[in-house]
Order: sequence, then C-alpha cells, then structure tokens
Amino acid sequence: MSESKRETKGTNSLIRTTIVTGALSAVSIALFLTPFGYIPWVAGASLTVMHVPAILGAVLEGPVAGAIIGGIFGVTSLIKAATAPQGPIDVFFTNPLVSVLPRILVGLLAWVAFKAIGRKKVALGAAAAAIIGSLANSLFVLGALVLLGALPLAAAASVFVANSFVEAALAAVLTVALVAAWRGIGSKSGRARLADEEKK
Amino acid sequence: MKNLEFFRNIGIGQYIDSGSWFHGLRPSTKYVFLLALSAVTIAAPTPLAVALVIFLSLGLAAASKIPVPFLLRTLKPIFPVLILTAVLQFLFRWPGDLSAPLLSIGPLSFTMHELWIVSLILLRSSGMMIIVGWFTSVTSESDAARGIEDILRPLSGKVSFVHRLSLAAATSIRFVPIVAGELEEIVKAQASRGADFGSGRKNIIAKAKAYAPLFVPVTIRALERAELLAEAMEARCYTGEGRTPPPRRPALRGDSLSAIFVVGFSIIVLIADNIYIKAWIRPF
Repeated sequence: MSESKRETKGTNSLIRTTIVTGALSAVSIALFLTPFGYIPWVAGASLTVMHVPAILGAVLEGPVAGAIIGGIFGVTSLIKAATAPQGPIDVFFTNPLVSVLPRILVGLLAWVAFKAIGRKKVALGAAAAAIIGSLANSLFVLGALVLLGALPLAAAASVFVANSFVEAALAAVLTVALVAAWRGIGSKSGRARLADEEKK
Repeated sequence: MKNLEFFRNIGIGQYIDSGSWFHGLRPSTKYVFLLALSAVTIAAPTPLAVALVIFLSLGLAAASKIPVPFLLRTLKPIFPVLILTAVLQFLFRWPGDLSAPLLSIGPLSFTMHELWIVSLILLRSSGMMIIVGWFTSVTSESDAARGIEDILRPLSGKVSFVHRLSLAAATSIRFVPIVAGELEEIVKAQASRGADFGSGRKNIIAKAKAYAPLFVPVTIRALERAELLAEAMEARCYTGEGRTPPPRRPALRGDSLSAIFVVGFSIIVLIADNIYIKAWIRPF
C-alpha cells in the first residue's frame, strides 16, 4: 500500500488533481464556516490563513488546482463581506475584482514560485511559494482597493507593511509543515496513515 | 475556547427526502432558485427586500415539506456574531455618518445608520443560511454535482474540463461535512490538552505554533481521504471520459415556469428596492 502510494504520488493524474482540488476547497470552506480561518491579532486586525489551502494546492497539484481553490476562497470572502460587513472597506469586497481575482492569482503565482525554486529542494520551494502567494494576496487585494478608491495609497502601504510580512511568515510555516508532513520529508514512515487506521 | 460546538446546529448539507414537487425539479432549476434568491439577499439595499426573500424561502421550504423549525435552528450560530457586530458598530463610527444617535455614552454612539447595518447583516446572513439550507434539503449530493455540470456545459466546448470542475465541486460538497467534523474533533482534542486558540498571546510565532497542530492534521487528513478516493476511482478505470451519460431527469413543465417566475421575482424586487423602496424607507 505505502509502496504504491509513493510511486503514484509523483505522477499526478487528472483524477487525483481533481479530487485533491475538491478536498482542499472543502478545507477552505470549512475554515470559512468556523472561526479558524482568521487569527485575531493586535488592535482588531486579523491575519488570515485562508489562502494556505490555495498555496498548498498549487504546490501539490499545479496551477489549475491552485487557481480553483483560490477562487473558492475569494467567493467565500465575497459572501462574508456581503452578509456580515464589519466596516466600510468590506463593501468593496463584494466586488469580485477585489475579492476573487487576486485570490486566483495567489494560486498561480505560488505555483510559479514553487516551479522556479522547488525542483530540488521541496521545503525551500514550498516556503517560497507560501511567501510569494501570501504577498501576492496582500498586494493585489490592497492594490485593487487603491485602484477603486477605497483606500488612500498611504493607508494601503501601512497595512501592507503591518500585516503582510507576518502573514507571509505564518503561511510559510504552515505550508512547509503541511508539505513536509504530506511528502514525508524528514522521516520515511513518520506520519499516521488514515488508510491503516481504517483497516483496523 | 467557549464555543466548541460549531456544527450541531448547521442544517446545511442534509438532504431530506420528503418527495415533494420541488424534489422532482431538475437540479439546474434548483440552482437557478439558489442563485436568484441569494443574489437578491446579497445585493438588495434594504432590509425589507431581504425579509421578503426570507418569507418566500420559508414558504418554499414549507411547500417542499421541509420542517421550517429545522431550517430556523441553523440560524442559532449567527447570534453571537451579531452581538459582536453590534458592539463593534457601537465602538467605531462609519465616516460621514450623520444619522440620529439612538444611544450614546460619551464619545461612543449607536446611530440609525448602524441599526440599519446591523439589521441588514442579521437578515442577509439568515437569508443566505435559509436559502442554502433549503437547496441542500431538496437536492441530493449527486444531483447537486450533476446540476453544476448541466449549468456549465454551455459555457465551454471542452466537456472534460467542465466535467473535472463539476467533479471537484462534487468532491468538495461531500468533503465539507467530513472536514468540518474533523476540525471540531481536533479542536476539542487539542483544547483538552491545554491548547489555547484564544487571543491570550500577542506573539505571532506562538500563535502560529498553536495553529499548526490544528491546521496541519485537518488538511493532511483531507488529503489522505482525497488520495484514497482518487486511488479507488483509478482502480476502477475512471477517467471521466467515454462514460454513458447518466439518465437526465425529464424536464417538467414546472421547471421552466418556476425558474422564470423566480428570476422575474428577483429582478423586480431588486429594481423596485433600488429605485422606490430605498428612497421611501431609508430614514436618513
């Protein structure tokens, strides 16, 4: 079982990619339904980990998976902004150019970063993908808000400096932990297997 | 962590086979209902229009023989969020808000504008939960997946991509309750071992460390399930191509008529709300 699993893991078939896309989208939706997608931080600002499934999808299964999962994240943030706005900025998140398009780009850029760096060093590539994806999320969302006149440039820049680097570091920690756990980096049989568990 | 029961009250995703007329409609028709009604819920500018849609949805639920209290129970988790929202509205002001204050303590105040926003939030989130709850109660999972394929087919000449997209959506629909259940299980397990997901610590590294034991196992387990499912499908030579198409439900006369009715209703409500009702009842 574990032998065949390792072999097939490299060759991502279309079916596998599709199913993993669906599963990671489900993680994204579950995070949206519970309070765990957003980590409260100082002064009412919150950090999001909602983009991590999109980055992970891009690293594991390629650009299409990353883009679709990112799109799902975008749609959840659109619904959140429309049904429970917390402030004037949220009004602009009902525009898909702010909420959905940047998140699709997160998946694509994370994949580009992983392709560029992660060919040999998977962990390094995953960290790069997380950092690029996370910064792209902040940059494009804030950029779209500035373009639409929702935020003055100076305010957007200060939010970017205050939030995005911490978010990127958080995303990198989580993504590396996930990729390491999934690809079995560091230990050969170190992780628990659901398959074995269900046999018992 | 005070609130560990996230899913006990969520009625979304539970199919109730009561065999009503609405159960017999084509899945794509039900998607039209879902999209049209949620568009009004999200985009209508006044609470009145949203309340109208909520009444229509509850009527739909009653006509579909779905117990209405079952749908209303799904609204319970909204209230803590709503109270938090009201407090936030009280503490902060919207720029340019000149409406009459209803309650003020020192520099803090709760104005008409904020009351308006809180009631919109309440109605919009209730409306979305009721509509989605109705949809999942009358549409089985496989119908939901097939409906996505039916709707997307005209958009793309490449059938295989549309099929993959709808397969991903179907997987996602089936995985959400599982992932959510596992999330709850793992949160409880970690909390019982003393994990703190609250806002006690300011150090972000410590926070990330507290979140990793939650986030990583949930995601890995979802991936393992995906792996098992993909392997099982591949073992059965599933490629998504060359399959005999599943029999489609014959279109009832009610399919097109009810879809036209719901879309027309939504458009009329949206237009009337934007042009007349908004100017009429907006108090500031």
